[in-house]
Amino acid sequence: MTKRIFRSIFLVAIAVFLASVVLFLGVLYDYFGNVQQRGLKTQTELAAQGVQTVGAEYFEGLSPKGYRISWISADGRVLYDSEADFSEMENHLEREEIKEALESGYGESSRYSVTLMERTLYSAKRLTDGTVIRLSVAQSTLLTLLLGMTQPIVIIIVIAMGISFWLAHRLSKNITAPLNQLNLDDPLSGEGYDELSPLLRRIDAQQRQIRQQETELEQKQEEFEAVTENMAEGIILLNTKGMILGINRSAETLFGTTHACIGKHILSVNRSIEISKLLSDIPKGVRSEKIIDLNGGRYQFAASPVSENGNIFGAVLLMLDVTEKEQAEQMRREFTANVSHELKTPLHTIAGCAELLENGMVRPEDTQRFYAQIRGEAGRMISLVEDIIRLSHLDEGADDMKWERVDLYALAVQTVRSLFREAENAGVSVSVDGETAALDGVPQLLESIVFNLTDNAIKYNRQGGAVKVSVGRFEGGVRLCVADTGIGIPKELCERIFERFYRVDKSRSKELGGTGLGLSIVKHAARLHDAKIELQSAEGEGTTVTVIFPDSKENIKS
Amino acid sequence: MRTRFDEQLNTLGQELIKMGALCEEVISLAASALIQKDDALAAKIAPLDHEIDEKERQIESMCLRLLLQQQPVARDLRQISAALKMVTDMERIGDQAEDVAEILPFLNGRTLPEHIQIREMAKETSKMVTDSVDAYVKQDISIAEAVIASDDIVDDYFVDIKSSLISLIAQNPTEGEYALDLLMVAKYFERIGDHATNIAGWVLFSVTGEKKGQPPAD
Repeated sequence: MTKRIFRSIFLVAIAVFLASVVLFLGVLYDYFGNVQQRGLKTQTELAAQGVQTVGAEYFEGLSPKGYRISWISADGRVLYDSEADFSEMENHLEREEIKEALESGYGESSRYSVTLMERTLYSAKRLTDGTVIRLSVAQSTLLTLLLGMTQPIVIIIVIAMGISFWLAHRLSKNITAPLNQLNLDDPLSGEGYDELSPLLRRIDAQQRQIRQQETELEQKQEEFEAVTENMAEGIILLNTKGMILGINRSAETLFGTTHACIGKHILSVNRSIEISKLLSDIPKGVRSEKIIDLNGGRYQFAASPVSENGNIFGAVLLMLDVTEKEQAEQMRREFTANVSHELKTPLHTIAGCAELLENGMVRPEDTQRFYAQIRGEAGRMISLVEDIIRLSHLDEGADDMKWERVDLYALAVQTVRSLFREAENAGVSVSVDGETAALDGVPQLLESIVFNLTDNAIKYNRQGGAVKVSVGRFEGGVRLCVADTGIGIPKELCERIFERFYRVDKSRSKELGGTGLGLSIVKHAARLHDAKIELQSAEGEGTTVTVIFPDSKENIKS
Repeated sequence: MRTRFDEQLNTLGQELIKMGALCEEVISLAASALIQKDDALAAKIAPLDHEIDEKERQIESMCLRLLLQQQPVARDLRQISAALKMVTDMERIGDQAEDVAEILPFLNGRTLPEHIQIREMAKETSKMVTDSVDAYVKQDISIAEAVIASDDIVDDYFVDIKSSLISLIAQNPTEGEYALDLLMVAKYFERIGDHATNIAGWVLFSVTGEKKGQPPAD
């Protein structure tokens, strides 16, 4: 732009300059011509006056500088000429100026010489005797004038060009400077041309719009990322070729990869045949789901095509961890099976006994025993159902249970006392020691923890064994410890004994009459109190179960 | 033109990964069938082996078409020729896993010390196959070299099993058939290990262009 402005200014300056030089020369030439003409006329008048008064003597000794004087008779003969031999000169009657002078008394004309390099001005006056005096002067033509002035003109042109070059340069720079200084990021800041302001305002408005849209986009992106990054479900976005377009943190962890996998093929992240098969239906626009084992867990994979107007341009792969759900379902299934089995056994006995009694197949002296059997089995069923109800209560989260301040020691003493008779029957000595230890809890649950642990310690003991229940405070909580000198638990089964209906020795448990739910209840009750259960056991030597109740936050404060 | 070629090379790579995944599946099925003594698992191998054979043909013709149409050079040529060789090894892995599956029903119900050794060997071989495919997927030289190194472990297993089977026959000649079956299984696993090593070698070749210490393929 600067170049163009410069060129325009420069050309205009040169053109104006040249035009004015030409015009100036023309006007000057004209003016000087007129001046010369007038001078010539005056000279002619003077010469005519001289000849008129003096006659032919006027010419003697006349040496006019620059002028040529001719005296011509009325019939056209040249009587005198200051420069040529007048006797040999041709008749001048046909000359324009002579003709004119003869007719009107004065005549003028101009003629170019043969070479065209000179113009001659003629001026003629008729004398009273009819002769004509003629003066002529040579006038240089415009061309000669120009040729003569070549040098100064060239010098002037060069100087003028230099000046206009410099000026054009400066001016064009000045004009474009505000344009160059425009700050397009903030177009309204600098001083610009008024003509540009609508454009700049438009640019400014658009920029603000773009910035706003950018922020909105960023916000949306951030929102999307915040949602996907923090969700527990894994999510992978794929294009139709199976290239990964996006992946969230859960999916990265699941596949053991990083963000670097974006842009690679899904196969390079996981090549499991099942996932490939899942994705193979995507081009058909079919959504498919499958549960796949991965990294030791079970995951529900859902592959859904992403489409718009029927064109599929990608897929979303969603991974849901269903490990726990599946386990829970499995446990529920097992529980149902176990419960029905456990309930069936006593019912069979009851039904059998009742049938025998009904058909009178029992001897009268034995009836009492059968009644007792029926009652015993019914009692077992009741305690089983009670345990199940308690467990389901615990499963529900037991919102309706009352939390209060409980002295665990007092509660332990009271609970153990209720078991004295059973201990006596089993030939086991039971002792409680410790100190007062208050904690926040649900009394019924704490009681069932102490009861079940002590009950188990008595049942799975040997003749003459001992059960020691101790309650104590320690830094940060309350500890309940139930130690026995019983049969112990094999190490590999320590985890399993807390499962519902699990029994180490099935045949023996039947005689002892447990429901198989005791420790399960202990586990749940402990979990409700945020308590931890520790189990130490040596086969044949005994088992020590320690339940550690952490101080609730309120306790720590007080 | 080049983008199209790149796309074809990518597809080739993906098909190879899929075939590798199939190999992993059959070898892990064979190992699980051996360990868990589950004939149902062994029965799944045969259809997968057919799938592997199908993939081999598909990849082979893909490679040949690429060689003809694109006339690749340098790295591309290495990649394609390595693929051409790798599918052969992968196909052999599939066949041998199927062979193992055929023998397994005759072994079931027996647990001898040699059996336990073979389980360990199967686990190791299965890992080798997985790692060799991993090396290809990630184009990782270090994994490939690790696979080549672990071939010795599998070979040692084979030697151990062989000598303990010899003493088994010496002590108890009636167990001869059982011992031979076990030896066959061990041999198949050992061969699978060799093929995994070959695959790792081809990965090295396609990445670095150098071919070193390649044990002979069959």
